[in-house]
Amino acid sequence: MAQTFSANSHDTAALTARIEKRWAFLMVGIISLLVAVVIFTSLHWAMMPPSRVETINPSTLHLSGEFVESNLGSAVEPDGSITVRVVGQQYSFTPQCIVVPSKTLITFRVTSADVIHGMLITGTNINSMVEPGYISTFKTEFKQPGDHLMPCHEYCGVGHEAMWANVKVVDKDVFSKMALNTRRLTCDF
Amino acid sequence: MNAHRPRLISFRNPWFSASVGAISLLFLFSAFVGFVWLPSAQDDALFKGLLNAICSAAGRPGAWLGEAAPAVPPKAPVSSVVLTPGMFDGASAGGSIGRGATLALRCTMCHGARGVSAANTPDLAGQYAASIYKELRDFQSAARTSAIMAPMVVGLSDQDLRDLSAYYAALPRDGGSGERKMQPVPTIVATGAPMRNVAPCESCHGDMATKLGAPWLGLQPRDYLKSQLEAFAHGGRHNDISAQMRNIARNMTPDEINASASYYAGNR
Repeated sequence: MAQTFSANSHDTAALTARIEKRWAFLMVGIISLLVAVVIFTSLHWAMMPPSRVETINPSTLHLSGEFVESNLGSAVEPDGSITVRVVGQQYSFTPQCIVVPSKTLITFRVTSADVIHGMLITGTNINSMVEPGYISTFKTEFKQPGDHLMPCHEYCGVGHEAMWANVKVVDKDVFSKMALNTRRLTCDF
Repeated sequence: MNAHRPRLISFRNPWFSASVGAISLLFLFSAFVGFVWLPSAQDDALFKGLLNAICSAAGRPGAWLGEAAPAVPPKAPVSSVVLTPGMFDGASAGGSIGRGATLALRCTMCHGARGVSAANTPDLAGQYAASIYKELRDFQSAARTSAIMAPMVVGLSDQDLRDLSAYYAALPRDGGSGERKMQPVPTIVATGAPMRNVAPCESCHGDMATKLGAPWLGLQPRDYLKSQLEAFAHGGRHNDISAQMRNIARNMTPDEINASASYYAGNR
């Protein structure tokens, strides 16, 4: 057997070289495909890993700044867009019912007061970690009115399964009427 | 035969130079995609420009909200207590039990000589120091209102409150008759109502898990527990930080409020 092998060693080397070349092309092809998938989903589905890093002290959220209780919920900005501020803590989101208008630019600002939580709005591509010490910022637009669930999807403790919120997307006009009476909107109660 | 082969790691080896070259190109292209192209596709001003795009994608902390309407101040006082695991670390921060015992003389007429009484007031013996301290501070700041407690905390310093908390936390809990352990645990206490956004009581207050600032509820008077749950549910009590307890109590049914209050009251 060894004899045969050494006799054909030149052929074997050529064969190996051919296989290695094919393997290299295949590998480069796979990596290129993965990079292409990242580019496509980022540009067309906005599935980009959030890289908007912003820090905050999680133990003093309630004392001052934008995450004080009276400032949570949906705020109408001067440019007509909506900023929604949410605090996640064991074991609920505040506000528990988020109300936003359809066909409007929405900026979510979410942070945690204790441990790592997650937020995911069903039926949309919104899916983010909610980490203590960091503010998760992301922008979206809801195409049509409807109700969505927003469960915490990072195990956060023994009450994790009870932690979720509602997201109510209402018609733009309905929302403007609601916004006349209050500066921060929620649909709690 | 090996002597005739070119050296493996050398740019004269076409395999080596081709593979290293290809990987370098791929790396440079991927870096361009991740740090320049895709960040620049975002419409945030902070991603615009080469340096901004690279730094933001790399995770440089910044302020990501542009112009925003000013924060709405609270209508009523809210709790200003900062709860951290190390809040009682250190000799003075931890409080003096002996000094607390002297200060506690003013509390005995309602809360009992040793932190236990039959006056429908909360039992303080063996309560967590953080919980006592938080409530006392909230009574002082009027975040929690009580006609009885408000005048009692006037003039007490932060150190006084720490000493009182340390004293009551050090007292032995009222053992009761042990009947609480024998009765069946209501669903709301053990598993909550996840479909209605209600976590189990025990996940913060109980034997299953505890949360800093959440009080121990074992053997508290039933009337007190029920009235507090109802106050949370209707917003009359609002010193829970970021509505933590109001969110829960609001979704509880009257039956669940009764069941949990009775369970934690034991046979009192």
